[in-house]
Amino acid sequence: MSASSRCDVAVTGLGLVTPAGIGVAASWDTILRAEPTAAADPALAGLPVDFSCRVPGFDADALLGRRTAWRTDRYTHLALVAGREAVADAGLDPASWDGARVGVVIGNALGGTATFERQHCVLRDEGAEMVSPMLIPMMGISMVAGYLAIAVSATGPNLVTVTACASGTTAIGTARELLRSGKCDIVLAGGTEASLTPLIASTFAKMGALSRRGHDPAAASRPFDAGRDGFVLAEGAGVLVLERPADARTRGARVRARITGYGASADAYHATAPDPAGTGVQRAIEMALADAGVQPDEVDHVNAHGTSTPLNDATEATVLRRMFGAGPAVTSVKGVTGHSLGGAGAIEAACTVLSVQHGVVPPTANLDCQDPEIELDVVARAPRAMPIQTAISNSFGFGGQNAVLVVSAA
Amino acid sequence: MNDLLSRVAVLLTTRFGVPKEEFGADVTLADLDLDSLSLVEFGLVAEKEFGVQIGEDEISPKDTVEDLVRLIADKGVAA
Repeated sequence: MSASSRCDVAVTGLGLVTPAGIGVAASWDTILRAEPTAAADPALAGLPVDFSCRVPGFDADALLGRRTAWRTDRYTHLALVAGREAVADAGLDPASWDGARVGVVIGNALGGTATFERQHCVLRDEGAEMVSPMLIPMMGISMVAGYLAIAVSATGPNLVTVTACASGTTAIGTARELLRSGKCDIVLAGGTEASLTPLIASTFAKMGALSRRGHDPAAASRPFDAGRDGFVLAEGAGVLVLERPADARTRGARVRARITGYGASADAYHATAPDPAGTGVQRAIEMALADAGVQPDEVDHVNAHGTSTPLNDATEATVLRRMFGAGPAVTSVKGVTGHSLGGAGAIEAACTVLSVQHGVVPPTANLDCQDPEIELDVVARAPRAMPIQTAISNSFGFGGQNAVLVVSAA
Repeated sequence: MNDLLSRVAVLLTTRFGVPKEEFGADVTLADLDLDSLSLVEFGLVAEKEFGVQIGEDEISPKDTVEDLVRLIADKGVAA
C-alpha cells in the first residue's frame, strides 16, 4: 500500500451556507459568476467599516425550527444547516447509521460573539439577575460540534479546532486522522463563523485588516488586485462528509473528490503579520504535498487563502511562485464571499472539491488589474474549464497557523 | 386562568419554539423540550412579561404547563 492511498479519504457529501447562497448549488453558482456579495450591513451602521458579506435571507427559525434556533448562536445555526445538507448529499441517514462510529470536527475562531455582546449589554443595562443562563451553551466555541452531534446522532469523537482563519482546514486535516487511525468510519468536518458584530468589526477595523472601500463595498474584496486594501468580514459555514474510500465504494456512494494530503505549520514570527519570507507557509505546503505523495509540478490548481490584504496576498504569491512557478491556475473565492475566518477553510475546501470534480476554476472577483508583484496565473473574469487531477487549498491564521489540504480527483 | 394560559402559550410558542400542536395545559415542560436552563431563561422572560419573579426551585421540567400558569397566578397575576 502506498503512502498516498493509505492516507486518502473520500469526500462523499458537501454542505455550504455562505454569503454566496444557502446550499452548495446556490453558493457555487454565485462563486462561478464571480459576483461579489459585500454590501452595506445595517448591524454595522455608523462604524468605521459598515459593510460585510452576510448569508442572504438566512432565517434560522424557518430552517431549523424556533425550538433549536432560540437556544443556539448564529455560528451554530449556519453549521447545522450546512451539516444537514452535507449528510443528505452523502446519501446517509442518521436514523440508520452507527452513531458511535461518526465523528464531528468543526473549525471555528471566535465562538458565539453575537450572544456574548448581547448578554454583556444585558449585564450593563439590566443587571446580573437578567443575564441569560444560556450564554455559555450558546457562545462556547465547543458548542457547535456538540449541537451538530445532537442533530445527527453522532456519538463518536467530537471537537472544535481553533486555528483562527485556518480553523476549517485544520478540522478537515484532523478528521482525516480520525479516519486513518480507524477511530471513526464517517466524519463530518467543516468550519463556521458568524461574527458580523459591532465589537468584532470594530476591532478588525482598528487593526487595519479590513478594506475601507465603504463607498463601493462590492469592489472591496479584490484578492491579488493592485488596488486591494484589506479583507471584508464575512460569515458562513461549510461541512464535508469524509469516509475511507473503501467504505464509500462498499455502500455505493458517489465520491466527489479525495483529500489526499494535509500539512500544518507555525510561522513563530508575529501575532498577526505573516512572515514575509513565507517560510512557514512553504513548509505547510511541502508537508501536505509529501503527505499526498505528489510533486509541485503535479499541482494543477491552487485555491488560495487570498484574503485581499496587501501583506497576505503578497506573501502567499511569493511562496506559490517560488514553489510552483506560474504553473497552477490560482483563485481566491474571497473576492465573492469575503473572509469568514473559521468558516473560510472549510468553504474553500468544498470549493476545491467542486473544482476538481467538475474541472472548473472559479474566477477571482474584482481582479481588474493584477498586482505586478503577484507573478501567478490568477483566474479572472470567467471560470476556466480545465482537467484537475491535483489541487491544494491554503489557509493561514493569525498566530502564524498555516494549514494546507491536497484535494485529488476521485 | 384561560387568559393567563393564552399569554403563557404565546410566550412558549414564539420565544421558545414550542409547536402549537404540542401545547396543552396537562403537558409537562420536559415534553416541550424545556430543560432546567430553559426554565431559568423562561423566568427572565416572565419577569418582563408578568412582572413576577420565578425562583429556580419553584418550577421543574417535570411540572405541567398548568402548574406553571398556577405558579404565575399565585404570584398575583390576573388569570
